[in-house]
Amino acid sequence: MLRLETIVAGYNKSIALDGVSIDIPAGTIVSVVGANGAGKSTIVNTISRLVSTYSGTIRFDGRDITGSKPAEVVELGIVQVPEGRQLFAPLTVEENLRLGFHRLAGKPDSAQKYRERLDYVLDLFPIMKQRIGQRAGTMSGGEQQMVAVSRALMAEPKLLMLDEPSLGLAPMIVDQIFDILAKLRKDGLTILLVEQHADEALALADYGYVMAVGKVRAEGPGNDLRDTPALHQSYLGKVVA
Amino acid sequence: MLMKLSYLLLAGLTNGSVYGLIGLSLSIIYGSSRVINFAQGEFVMLGAMSAVLFMVTLALPWPVAMLAMLAVVVIAALALDYGVYRPLIRRKAAPLTIMIGTLAGAIIVYGLAFLIWGPDQRYVPPVLSLEPIRIGFLITNPQQISLIVIFVVFLLATWYILYRTRFGLSVRATGVNPRVALLMGIRSERIVQFSFIFSAFISGVAGMMVGPLLGGHVGMGLLLTVKGFMAAILGGLGSPFAAAAGGLAIGMMEALMAGFGTSLYAEPAIFVLILLVLIVRPYGLLGDYEAERR
Repeated sequence: MLRLETIVAGYNKSIALDGVSIDIPAGTIVSVVGANGAGKSTIVNTISRLVSTYSGTIRFDGRDITGSKPAEVVELGIVQVPEGRQLFAPLTVEENLRLGFHRLAGKPDSAQKYRERLDYVLDLFPIMKQRIGQRAGTMSGGEQQMVAVSRALMAEPKLLMLDEPSLGLAPMIVDQIFDILAKLRKDGLTILLVEQHADEALALADYGYVMAVGKVRAEGPGNDLRDTPALHQSYLGKVVA
Repeated sequence: MLMKLSYLLLAGLTNGSVYGLIGLSLSIIYGSSRVINFAQGEFVMLGAMSAVLFMVTLALPWPVAMLAMLAVVVIAALALDYGVYRPLIRRKAAPLTIMIGTLAGAIIVYGLAFLIWGPDQRYVPPVLSLEPIRIGFLITNPQQISLIVIFVVFLLATWYILYRTRFGLSVRATGVNPRVALLMGIRSERIVQFSFIFSAFISGVAGMMVGPLLGGHVGMGLLLTVKGFMAAILGGLGSPFAAAAGGLAIGMMEALMAGFGTSLYAEPAIFVLILLVLIVRPYGLLGDYEAERR
């Protein structure tokens, strides 16, 4: 569904991704793991077109989207759950969800569609029902992550990208979020999961990539990758020959 | 006594409506971009001086003059957006830097206006009559009343747009975090552009309405920016209605102090009051935490 072809990308002329190729087939969960600073978040933000690319191509359903603008990427159905959740804290949970729905709003049957999406996410995270009128910034980290995932799902994405969803959350909440991701895959959603917690992320994934200092060091079916030397070296900071 | 008080309140309401309109426009731009637009008063000046140009010099009928005036302020707003805001925001400038940029914009607009109209006080023709009319025991005129009505109309329109439309929600989201708004598919730059145009529109109309009452000259902008800014700070920058209420409060205070004391002390006394309010309530009288980014 989405392919990165030898992408070189970065910020202010520095290079954060150095010839990265990643393939995300439809209906699968692909995990990208690696230590802090390996370039994982840059992958997500490159796909969202917030980071400029120096060379390489991003293809979505075969179409070159390297030159697209961030809003156009969202319109295509590529939606991100940003690192640190990044809810609109002063706005209510419902307003946050409405903003997530922006992609589908303004179309003829959008009112009915909104109800459908809202019911769908409230079904996934029933706890939000009591929180719907609350300001998003006043909720716990776990609840905020649920709203952040729901906000992205409101757009009915084709590709859902999650940047470090476990960041700062209790293990129990992380398990809950990962269970939801497995459920979303069963519903046919394609997911790119970028995570520092390699073991859980790879256990969930159909296919995985291990990154270190801007390069892919190893790739393979998620479970096979959990014990590769490249994974350990990525986290211990040794450069693989 | 009651007579005097009601006159003062009417005068306060009129001036307060002007400050309120400017505070409202300032906070609309602030709401989407977190920038205080120091050129806001220049939009008011352009509104008043355009009335001079189109209604006196060119002698156009007022509806045509009104449209021409709106074209002038919208062009000025777009110039500010493309000339100051966008180049700076694309270079990731902080809001403070952009504020200084708008001050530069204000000085340029003032300079250009000076070349066109010169330094003198100009007669700004009223759109409506200045003939006194009597409402109960109050004597007022249609121009004054329409200014107050326009203030209320713009206030309601702004409220409706911001809190009852999808577009308004996008505006508020962009103000909280433009980068994440972008991730929702919202085109943040267009949102900010709209806020510049809409607020210039409000300020331009305010200028056209207040010109005949206060007189117009090219240097009037800065003082009005300051008054509007005071209004917004006193009420609370985060909310356009708080800023508008702050404008009313300042107008009333000015009038009451000038009426019962002396106008000499009105200005410093207001500053002291604002200072006291901000010490107790740093977000302003009615401000809330939506003013905080993230």
